[in-house]
Amino acid sequence: MSGAPVIETQGLTKVFGPQRALDGVSLQVAPGAIGLLGPNGAGKSTFMKCLLQLQPITSGSAKLLGREVGREGREIRKRVGYTPEQDCHIPGMAGCEYVTYCAQLCGLPFQAARQRAHEMLDFVGMGQERYRKADTYSTGMRQRLKLAQAIVHDPEIVFLDEPTNGLDPKGQAQILELVQSLWKTYGITVVVSSHLMQDVDRICEQIIIIARGRVLVHDSLENLKARKRGAAEVVIASGQQKLQAACQQRQWPCELLANGHVKVEHKADSLNPLLALLHELKLAPLELIPSPNALEETFVQALEISHAAA
Amino acid sequence: MPLHDTSYQHWEGAHLGLWRRRWAIARNGIAACLQIKGMGQLVVACWLAALVMTTLLFFVGQLLVADSIVVQWVGNLNPQLQAFVKTFTIWLEQHPEISVRTTQDVLFYYFGIFLMPVSIFALGLIMPVLITRDLASNAIIIYASKAVSRGDYFLGKFCTAFGLMVLTWLGPVCSAWFLGNLLAPDWRFFWHSRIAVFHAVVYGVSSMCILSVLALGVSATSLKEKSTAAFWFMWWIVGGVIAPIATHTKPWLRHVSFNFNLDQIALAVFRLGDDLKIAQDNVPIFGEMLRNIRPDTMAALNTPAIGGALLGLLAMGVLAATVVGKRVKPE
Repeated sequence: MSGAPVIETQGLTKVFGPQRALDGVSLQVAPGAIGLLGPNGAGKSTFMKCLLQLQPITSGSAKLLGREVGREGREIRKRVGYTPEQDCHIPGMAGCEYVTYCAQLCGLPFQAARQRAHEMLDFVGMGQERYRKADTYSTGMRQRLKLAQAIVHDPEIVFLDEPTNGLDPKGQAQILELVQSLWKTYGITVVVSSHLMQDVDRICEQIIIIARGRVLVHDSLENLKARKRGAAEVVIASGQQKLQAACQQRQWPCELLANGHVKVEHKADSLNPLLALLHELKLAPLELIPSPNALEETFVQALEISHAAA
Repeated sequence: MPLHDTSYQHWEGAHLGLWRRRWAIARNGIAACLQIKGMGQLVVACWLAALVMTTLLFFVGQLLVADSIVVQWVGNLNPQLQAFVKTFTIWLEQHPEISVRTTQDVLFYYFGIFLMPVSIFALGLIMPVLITRDLASNAIIIYASKAVSRGDYFLGKFCTAFGLMVLTWLGPVCSAWFLGNLLAPDWRFFWHSRIAVFHAVVYGVSSMCILSVLALGVSATSLKEKSTAAFWFMWWIVGGVIAPIATHTKPWLRHVSFNFNLDQIALAVFRLGDDLKIAQDNVPIFGEMLRNIRPDTMAALNTPAIGGALLGLLAMGVLAATVVGKRVKPE
């Protein structure tokens, strides 16, 4: 994690009646692809909305892109993109009109807004359907449209609330690829809120786990995986039984998964012992997935600790 | 393989100011209003009415042109009407500064009274476009997440309603005045009619502001498009029915009708009673006709219930603003 923090919060609290949706959240988040994980109702969306001033903060303070949330609303939102979880198109508007309008709301001149809207719709992979009314779009198209409106004004940070909701696996992969490229290729910080661990695991470098309105974990994915080092998933075309037998000889717990992969707990910091064994057995791995369930295990563990503390 | 570059491009240009963003909301709203079925015809009808008004003003002016077709046409009227027109023409010639102002004051009063219900009807049609749809479709979150504040959103939507009424009310009034006086035989008609058009603009703009605020309030009351439109029309119609009934029983009840209150403002602005008295004194035959008007009608013209009307409209405006403030939130 490097660079000036894009998100800084100090004792951020949000109360809805008797319920504390956010309970003294203090964070410093560096630019990057950030995954916001937590079970439903954990406070992920509320956290985003408080930063975007869609919800007033009950107490504490927050800074986004170095500016005080609550004081410099317009200036902050000029540099921020947001895709809400639910549909948010304007009825009766065609996709390209809608994105153009969103760009104008951020201060782009009409001609530039229209041109940029088409560029962003190209970027998210929308074709001629952009000229159709957004009311007629499928879920996948709506997700793309939401992403296009969030980035049309070239923000420095984009908040995506459950961006893959309702998408088929192919659509999910495409959207995640686009989101990943925003940070990796174009340097736009991305905050993805999701309850789907594989989505976050795939594209994020930093992980924030929230439950019951509190931040349980905030670390890089690399560090989280390092904590769970010593396990790997081996993808091989054949010889699974041979590998299992060799692992048992070395007293490495191992398991043949339903998808044909072999999960091996080699108990070492690096994959070298496992690679040496595969070499010895003359098995050519198609893929080696280190720490395959690190995020999930960390997530479950954090939740258990949180429940026990409660 | 795409034929053109589909990669992400950073935006290098400058951002426009706040007023341009507000204007984007208003412009988009007005464009959406004009797409509503029947709205185009309604706007055209208002401009046709402006054309009729222009023709009336042209006829009045032509009375001063000895060999004009209007004068020849008057020659073919029955003797009583001929006498009226001739007296009127003499008044125009002798005291144009008073006669032009008074005549146009009366004409623009009735033109405004005609355009007000048309504009109220137009507001009923656009009710969903104002706030209802944004609330129902969650688009309000998108506004809240962009570089505009709630105040900017309200202002943009206010300008949408106001802008539509510029097309159905203020635009036709100003155009009729300009064209009517452009076709007059004397350039001084522009100067003589300045008070009349000032009255028309003051009445129009103040009514449009009030109606815009009320329309925003009603538009925010429900997520259902039909409900908000029905609420608006019901308020208009029920108020219109209650006002004349309540005049003799509970006069304060008249002020629940926004159109009654706006009528009182019109009477206070135009001071129609004074105009009719001037006409009565200068065109004797006209005075004969006015004597047939019932005393209570004349009293209503001379002493509009302006205090109650302003209080009623203020209360309605505060209520509408409160509804909008409470309802229009991202969550």
